[in-house]
Amino acid sequence: MSIARLDSVRADFREALAEAGNDPEALERVRIAYAGQRSGLLRDLAAALRDLPPEDKREYGRRLNELKAEIQEALAAAQRTALEMKVQAGTGRVGVTGYPVDVTLPGRRPPLGAQHPVQLVRRRVESIFLRMGYDVEDGPEIEDDWHNFEALNIPPDHPARDDQDTFYLPGGMLLRTHTSPVQARVMERRQPPIRIIVPGRVFRRDSDLRHSPMFHQVEGLLVDEGITFSHLKATLETFLHALFSDEVAVRLRPGYFPFTEPSAEVDISCIFCRQAGCGVCSRSGWIEILGAGMVDPRVFEAVGVDPDRYTGFAFGLGLDRVAMLVHGVPDLRQMFEGDQRLTRQFA
Amino acid sequence: MKFDLGWLRELVDPAADADTIAERLTACGFLVELRERDADGEVWEVEVTTNRPDAMNHRGLAREIAVATGAALRPLTVELTEDAEPAAAVAAVEVVEPPLCSRYVARIVRGITVTESPDWLRRRLERCGVRPINAVVDVTNYVLLELGQPLHAFDLALLSGPKIVVRRAASGERLTTLDGEAREVDPSMLVIADASRPVALAGIMGGANSEISPSTTELLIESAHFDPLTVRRAARRLGIHTEASHRFERGCDPEMAATACDVAAAMIAKLCGGRVCRGRIDVDARRGPARALSLSVAGLSRFAGLEIAARDVLRILDGLGFAPRAQGDRVTVTPPSHRVDVDRVADLYEEVIRHCGYGAVPARLPVLSTSPGHRHPNWELVDRARDAAVGVGLAEVMTFAFIDPDDDALAGELPLPGGPPLPLSNPLARTQSVMRRSLLPGLLGGARLNLNRGERALAIFEQGRVFSAGDGAPVERERLALAIAGSRDGCAAAFTDLKGLVEELLDRIAFPAIEWRRGGAPWLDEAEGAVLVAGEAVIGIAGLLAERTAARWELRQPVYVAELELADASGGKPPVRFQPVPRYPSVVADMTVEHPAGLAYATLDGAVRELASERVETVELLGTPFTDEKLLADRVRTTLRLVYRHSERSLTQDEVNAAQAELRGRLAARLGVSFA
Repeated sequence: MSIARLDSVRADFREALAEAGNDPEALERVRIAYAGQRSGLLRDLAAALRDLPPEDKREYGRRLNELKAEIQEALAAAQRTALEMKVQAGTGRVGVTGYPVDVTLPGRRPPLGAQHPVQLVRRRVESIFLRMGYDVEDGPEIEDDWHNFEALNIPPDHPARDDQDTFYLPGGMLLRTHTSPVQARVMERRQPPIRIIVPGRVFRRDSDLRHSPMFHQVEGLLVDEGITFSHLKATLETFLHALFSDEVAVRLRPGYFPFTEPSAEVDISCIFCRQAGCGVCSRSGWIEILGAGMVDPRVFEAVGVDPDRYTGFAFGLGLDRVAMLVHGVPDLRQMFEGDQRLTRQFA
Repeated sequence: MKFDLGWLRELVDPAADADTIAERLTACGFLVELRERDADGEVWEVEVTTNRPDAMNHRGLAREIAVATGAALRPLTVELTEDAEPAAAVAAVEVVEPPLCSRYVARIVRGITVTESPDWLRRRLERCGVRPINAVVDVTNYVLLELGQPLHAFDLALLSGPKIVVRRAASGERLTTLDGEAREVDPSMLVIADASRPVALAGIMGGANSEISPSTTELLIESAHFDPLTVRRAARRLGIHTEASHRFERGCDPEMAATACDVAAAMIAKLCGGRVCRGRIDVDARRGPARALSLSVAGLSRFAGLEIAARDVLRILDGLGFAPRAQGDRVTVTPPSHRVDVDRVADLYEEVIRHCGYGAVPARLPVLSTSPGHRHPNWELVDRARDAAVGVGLAEVMTFAFIDPDDDALAGELPLPGGPPLPLSNPLARTQSVMRRSLLPGLLGGARLNLNRGERALAIFEQGRVFSAGDGAPVERERLALAIAGSRDGCAAAFTDLKGLVEELLDRIAFPAIEWRRGGAPWLDEAEGAVLVAGEAVIGIAGLLAERTAARWELRQPVYVAELELADASGGKPPVRFQPVPRYPSVVADMTVEHPAGLAYATLDGAVRELASERVETVELLGTPFTDEKLLADRVRTTLRLVYRHSERSLTQDEVNAAQAELRGRLAARLGVSFA
């Protein structure tokens, strides 16, 4: 072995590399022959080092390293080129299966869960009001007469009780007919400032296309010093724009609720016909969406809040109604049948 | 309520066009819901809220139109010619219960002929939804529609005395009302009687025994004011709702009683001939005029968030009949007798603001502290559960909170926390008559519906409350229940599918350590049922629905269910602590253990974990335990997959083999198992 041997190996390598061209298999054979871990020529050449006379060792080692670097770089470059050529030529591997896939076949989707549309609407409403600094409160679904009616300025035999036909339990308890009793409970518990919403399930003895004996509401209450009707209007506009779109017009008109004075019915411009007139808005261009008003001083008195110091507003929204509107569900009762196909549309 | 637009326009001066009136009425609180046109003009359906009985008639609504359109309400004039004979000489009125009848006005008309009403009158009634009968009855209805005062005409010849006595009904008294129903009345009800018997239900409906007939020649016209509560309770108890009771319940104008009586008498005399006797019989027990109220214009402006001028306050309140008097910033009013709903300054604010128009109020957000909102912990809990269920692929359903009592009786047999049932006193149907004590009945109803409709893979859940009687107050508990059946690939769901779902849920909802014990009968199949135990408390059940239970809901294929008591979940998962990610490769080693059929997997798994080398990272079941009665006879083969890993270097196969051999020895010694 000598330094000359290194030169002849270099020449052979260059020739073999040129011969292999861009054939990946030929290149691999060249790689094994020269740079293979077990029997490559480079390995033999390195092994020869120890048999050389000491004065040649240094020079031989240097040259060997040069050769090694050249071979490795040239091989890597050639392999890279070969791969590129192969990809360009389109003769690469044909998928895992070995045959082309029909990409129009349906995908296998993972099974996804879904929330009920009423819950989706509830959480949207919650998130809007949480961002405005409202707390989300909770209360019992089985209520007493005081919190559901009397504290809200609806004494026994009040005609307003006709509008809220009530389910009773023996002993005078009842199923809450609205989420408003939680207003009363919170005000009994703590003094203003109060800024809350109360989503929840409510019950009325009514069943047809638009009424279900069980449905869902969200109640809002803000009580502080100096709260005005103008604040109510702006809060509702902000909320409704966030819930539907900035495009909707919001209309307040006088209404009647025993627990607010003055009271307002709140309409939005029809989101379906843009006020051109359609079935959903009964050709009026407006959709009734919530009830609201300034908290009646009698309610403040009933729950121990000073009506001379504080004013406030309250509002209530039907969550199911919003879900029906937004998603075009025609029959409210369908929402509570238990059909998973209704829910899975909302995955 | 129906209104005749032509009639309304007659009452205001000048009358605006129909579109303007509709728009302004809606803006001041009377939603014009429907406008129908016919040959005589438009008929409107207008929503009059229950607190505004004064606007449940044409004149009352015209008053609102006048204020809203800047017009005047035409004054009410009565042209009445009286006969010389005094009414008081013909009949007498006695009010035994003045608190229940604060005013009773009567007029006598003699010598009439009961005819049909003229066409214009019949048309007006019909257009407002009232059926014409004869001129006398039609006039009373007409006056009701115009002035809001309910009237009743008695055939004077049929009244014994002739005398009117306003009294409580005696126990056991009976009266056949104009609708032909024989009704039993009681002392809680007020009746109009003659000298001997009831002749009308006060404020609700007249009696057949004094009804106007074609042969009637003499009338007593009643125009009274009855106590709203008494009328309301009687009407509800008897199940009657009339135009009269609707208004009396909400509150009529006692001042109008006299005027309305005069208008009716004059119209009847004109249409039916006859003479109106001189004077009214008027038993008047009213208390004094309404309390004066005083508002500050500046205070009102502040409350509204709108600058309101004093002259607008005066214009609006004057138009509505409040006779306002201004003094500096203060405006003092006396609410008119027709406004039974106004007795506080807040009520006056409403009057002014609604006639300024809610549209005129600027929208200005309140300036509030910037504290972030918080959610009640219960919402956090139930939404965590809901998100967990959605995360494992279940679809949420919501079913009624009241169920069939037979289903609920079954729910009472669940080994979950509960109490006695809570039935409704007035359910809509037997199938919705008791508050649910479990979510499963509703959920299984949903399962049946889905399977009947051809769903092959059922995976549903419900989150909601269950209810039971407690010590004193009812108890509400948050639960989550799920049901699965079938599968996408056509092979049936198995217990392990259910358990996997439930384990994932328990983790995500952050329940404490749960032990699975066989149980859940009679709801669950004895072979495939479990109760979930935390400490010693049962917090849930999970398993295959027992045949008997499945049959009740007509479920013909295996359905797996679970129900969890959410109150037992912890407050949420603690923040995750980072664990170093291993850098060295793992070595997998399987081990097939042959053991007696009675050995629970949990025991085997526990022993392996305890006895294995500290290098064992995970132990899991591979496939399902194999059993073959002929081949193994009461023995089961369970294959475990152990993953070995050293945190600081690669393990060699020899090291793992040695560890496995040692583990086999220890297991054999501990459990008496052998290895295949």
